[in-house]
Amino acid sequence: MQLPRLLFLLTLCGLTLFFLPIRGLTTDSPLEAVRSTTNRVVLVLKAPENQGPHLREKRIKQVSEIVRPLFDRREVARRTLGVYWRDRTEEQREEFIEIFTELIEKSYGETFDKQAEKYLDQVEFLYDQETIDGNFAEVNTRIFVPSQNKHFSINYRLHQVDGQWLIYDVVVENISMVRNFRTQFYRIIGKSSYEELVRKLQAKLRQMAATRSPS
Amino acid sequence: MLKKLAVVVSIVGIVQAGFFLTRAQAQMGSAGQDEVAPQPIADPFEPFNQAMLSFNLKLDEYILHPVASGYAAILPLGARQGVGRFFHNINIAPRLGNKLLQMKLVGAGKEVGRFVINTTLGGLGFFDVADSWFGLEAGHADFGQTLAQYGISPGPYLVLPFFGPSTVRDAVGLSVDGAMQPMNYLLPTYPETIAARGGWVMGNAVNFRSLNLELFENVDRFSVDLYGAVQDGYLQQRERVVQDALAEQ
Repeated sequence: MQLPRLLFLLTLCGLTLFFLPIRGLTTDSPLEAVRSTTNRVVLVLKAPENQGPHLREKRIKQVSEIVRPLFDRREVARRTLGVYWRDRTEEQREEFIEIFTELIEKSYGETFDKQAEKYLDQVEFLYDQETIDGNFAEVNTRIFVPSQNKHFSINYRLHQVDGQWLIYDVVVENISMVRNFRTQFYRIIGKSSYEELVRKLQAKLRQMAATRSPS
Repeated sequence: MLKKLAVVVSIVGIVQAGFFLTRAQAQMGSAGQDEVAPQPIADPFEPFNQAMLSFNLKLDEYILHPVASGYAAILPLGARQGVGRFFHNINIAPRLGNKLLQMKLVGAGKEVGRFVINTTLGGLGFFDVADSWFGLEAGHADFGQTLAQYGISPGPYLVLPFFGPSTVRDAVGLSVDGAMQPMNYLLPTYPETIAARGGWVMGNAVNFRSLNLELFENVDRFSVDLYGAVQDGYLQQRERVVQDALAEQ
């Protein structure tokens, strides 16, 4: 049964994309950038004054604030649209970046927080290595679950913009999130149109606003 | 046996045809991270695949998930993890066979070592002492990977009922791996033994599902196009499995 494992990994991928832990200090190496931001997010989630389900929205907001300005949303959007990015007007591009970012945050924010509540104390973050090639870098990390003696690999792909290392893709257990979304978007655009993709993303947002995420 | 071989050979022919059909697109796949991303991959079986994806999701919703939930309520987590390790240990034959076919002699030796240690000291494989005491980590090898190593392309994407996402090449691999199970030959073909084999496969699936019950419920929420998400997830994972096999000495 490959399907359950895949669906689980896809969920994990998305959770990580929401989590995008980067800290754009110019002096940080890519690995340090990933490590320090992960630590900051963990601190927020573990803070005594932030505990309890009634503070969920506050926690999600705080994590978003740490994360949102620090990842390259435009680059993520550009790569997920692939060849279709070129044909878009600047207005369409801006609109797409907004919708796509909102979709990621809405779909994963609450689930991420619930999963973190359950599992954060049971996992260890391991930072294995960074590989830098000019303005591009990859940071290899793992989440270790001691109780199950299992590792999940999470690799971050970054590029340097104005001296800051910014993430443009996350690869969880060998699944690149950007490529996965691109496959979905290509299928939709290929069968209908870019406009249809935007309609679908907006419908998804409305659908999510009407339903709550699973616990 | 001859019949089985004939079926395998004819399926290999289909894979080869798929190889020529999709060679161009496979070459473009390596540009996946670049600015100019490839066009959507060819998917000639899509209508069938869509139906099978729906079937598998219903199967999971109405049978596998409820059964696994009940099973998880009865058996504690540690025991279910042990059952998972037992299934992994006992399924050594296809892994060993494929390590040998791939000429990975060190990997084959590891498989034998792990099997001997875990079957004896690890209580029939319920405990993975080969890893924890001797540092022999669990490995992987399958016939789809072996075919890839011999230069055969994945061919078109194919969703199988019960087994889930695959490609033509990996579907052939799956049937050959099944044929490598000694139980299929050691046990006589009676309805009871066929049922036992089915139960065996189901047991493995239920146990695996029980270990991953809550992690991807409501998965629709996390994708815009579930079919594409699952298809790409599978293909990316398999590309890595094949790369790992090529890199292994």
